[in-house]
Amino acid sequence: MWLLAALARMRPAAESQAEDLESLRRFASGDQGAAAGLYDRHARALYSLILRIVGDEGEAEDVLQEVFVQAFRQAGRYDSSRGAVAAWLLMMARSRAIDRVRARRARVEGRTGEVTVLNDLPDSQPDASSAMLGEEQTRLVREALAGLPLLQRMAIELAYYEGLSHTEIAERLEQPLGTVKTRIRLGLLKLRDVLDHPNAPSPRVGDPVQGQA
Amino acid sequence: MSMHDELKANAAGYVLGSLDPNERQEFEAHIAGCGECAAEVASLRPVVSVLATSVPQVTPRAELRDRILDVAAGLTSSGVGAGAGLKTGPYTVHDRRSPPALHDRKAPPPLVWLPLAAAIVIAVGAGIYAVRLQRQVGELQARFDQAQATTAVLGAPDLARIDLQGETVAPSARARALWSRSRGLVFTAANLPPVPAGKAYQVWVVTAQMPISAGLLTTDPTGGGSQYYMTPPDIAPPVAVAVTLEPSGGVPLPTGERYLIGMP
Repeated sequence: MWLLAALARMRPAAESQAEDLESLRRFASGDQGAAAGLYDRHARALYSLILRIVGDEGEAEDVLQEVFVQAFRQAGRYDSSRGAVAAWLLMMARSRAIDRVRARRARVEGRTGEVTVLNDLPDSQPDASSAMLGEEQTRLVREALAGLPLLQRMAIELAYYEGLSHTEIAERLEQPLGTVKTRIRLGLLKLRDVLDHPNAPSPRVGDPVQGQA
Repeated sequence: MSMHDELKANAAGYVLGSLDPNERQEFEAHIAGCGECAAEVASLRPVVSVLATSVPQVTPRAELRDRILDVAAGLTSSGVGAGAGLKTGPYTVHDRRSPPALHDRKAPPPLVWLPLAAAIVIAVGAGIYAVRLQRQVGELQARFDQAQATTAVLGAPDLARIDLQGETVAPSARARALWSRSRGLVFTAANLPPVPAGKAYQVWVVTAQMPISAGLLTTDPTGGGSQYYMTPPDIAPPVAVAVTLEPSGGVPLPTGERYLIGMP
């Protein structure tokens, strides 16, 4: 049962999570001071992710503000069963940053006002309600990410940080669509595999988990 | 490759958000009934969350912290959530008038200290004005966010509509839920009875496994209310949407009497 094993190892930073929930609760009940704690714990990670996606400091600041405003506005409705507050904030940050980049791309391509461009894009908020991995697991996945074959890694990064669809990635990398899909899949399975075999001497980049599910 | 294998190959793209819209819809329809693919999705999510923190870490400017905390202060002072917007009017009128009123005063004989004192008073007035403006911006931002979220739901390609009927405790109550897996839930109710003290209405998305709380619903004196809720994108397809009366802070699972229910 790799899934259960992985879930068991996925301990969210419990203390930080408790503080985050407390901040949201206090903010919702009108305590302005609670905002500072939440900001101080997460601003750096969120800003870094947003900056990586939008590539412009001014825009990154605007997006960070949007994310916190959205978080504070929904503070009273945050359901702790949804998982780590950190994951929720990161999900919103990515989603809003990618919206920004897509809107810019649409403008550059002279499609101003064409709202459908945004509507038709693939789901940009898939990783809500997930736990955050612990430090050790995060390190393992990062190492494995760095060790992925270049094209696998590029395809994953174009999807995650640029918000491109499979079709757009295929165009960008001048690769057949099927190849791109396979690369993304193999890449992610390898990253997951590392979590499943944390004690393996080197990051396992072998066969994707087959027939265990 | 079987149809199932072909679809399972899309799990990675689904988690990364890189499927084309038609593929995504097809895949969502598939995982609703396929535990194996749902498990694949669940197992890939934490891996993808590592991508979010695997970027060069950069500290934002200190000024940004002040700006954001100011806006946050505006949100608390206006009451987080819908319906606080109308307060902005009187502030605007009052504030626009008070600083010019200082100019209108008949000037006493020109003394050196007077312009200085006036400048200080104006500066303080302008400072207070700026703080209030910032609050207004916060309030407007909150209303705008709410409107934007609602519009996004209404424009969602996967929009589903669920009409709710009042139960015996509230036979004339009606409600409508507009739900998009990717964008959330817009819930509008009418004719709900007044909420007793210490109680609140809570909205539930009921899945085959369990009811999931969408959040609390605030009603106006006519028993109407409208609210946007975020929903987790990976919840099982709802088999019903319901409203119950619960203790005022809300509860993790429904305990109180059911006021509204509807099925897709």
